[in-house]
Amino acid sequence: MLDSNAVLNSYRVQDFLSAENLDRADATVVEIFKMMFGFEVEVDADSTLGPSREPNERTAIVGFSGAMRGSCQIRIGLQAAQSIASAMLGGAPVEETSDSVNDALGELCNMLAGGWKNGIPGLSSECALSPPTVISGRDYMVHVSKPSVKLTRIYCFSGHTLHLTLCCEGVDTSRD
Amino acid sequence: MQGTVLVVDDSAMMRKVVLRVLKMADVEFESTLEAGDGNQALELLRGNQVALIMCDINMPGMSGLQLLQQMQQEKLAVGVPIVMVTTENSEPQVRQAILAGARGYIRKPFTVDHIKNNVRPLLTG
Repeated sequence: MLDSNAVLNSYRVQDFLSAENLDRADATVVEIFKMMFGFEVEVDADSTLGPSREPNERTAIVGFSGAMRGSCQIRIGLQAAQSIASAMLGGAPVEETSDSVNDALGELCNMLAGGWKNGIPGLSSECALSPPTVISGRDYMVHVSKPSVKLTRIYCFSGHTLHLTLCCEGVDTSRD
Repeated sequence: MQGTVLVVDDSAMMRKVVLRVLKMADVEFESTLEAGDGNQALELLRGNQVALIMCDINMPGMSGLQLLQQMQQEKLAVGVPIVMVTTENSEPQVRQAILAGARGYIRKPFTVDHIKNNVRPLLTG
């Protein structure tokens, strides 16, 4: 039976899970890191790095609504988040307790979510972004509407890793 | 450059980034004002003359588009170039922003060249 959420989501599962979509996510990450921070990014396409083990992690989440409902999530260690905040400020040092760390991470997630969906004709105008939320630590769970599908990807930059998850919620998996 | 630039964005980090990239693009003003939301921006505009406004669209509370509409109603910053800075890329939003008085549009992430190409002409023209 079709989940009631499925009718809310006109973006198709096979499109979301396509190779083009992964390429689009990779291109978005590479472009933003280069333009905003001056970092070269490598894609860990085979996910050889596995799950992050850093206890002091930050997670930023931006929601999608409209033609696609879901979220863009990034997970990153505190030092990596500090590097990003510092690069955004032109190289100025940033303390780990500074609000700038979370602010920079939220903005990065916002740009990644926007850059990714703006590249998809069916979503660019038809899908809105929520303001970002930033979480400290690893002891949390993100609950999503079911059924849902996810794309995950790991990127390496300047000795750090970034985990990206794109989640599409309320999809009709029975037709795909 | 003479005058004051007003940067409106709910992210303090992004306000700093906008000001830094303006400076790198040789669009540096005598003074700067920052607002974290539309209401703060209105307060600043009621008491200050500005020469350029750089404004985010997607802000909690009063959005950038609502701010422009309110500025039109109150006849604030009439004739001042307003450039929207946002991750959104949708045509309806661009159209709404132009109708509400915006003169330019920059998508995040942006470079120094984007500022040079999209902001400087508004100040010299």
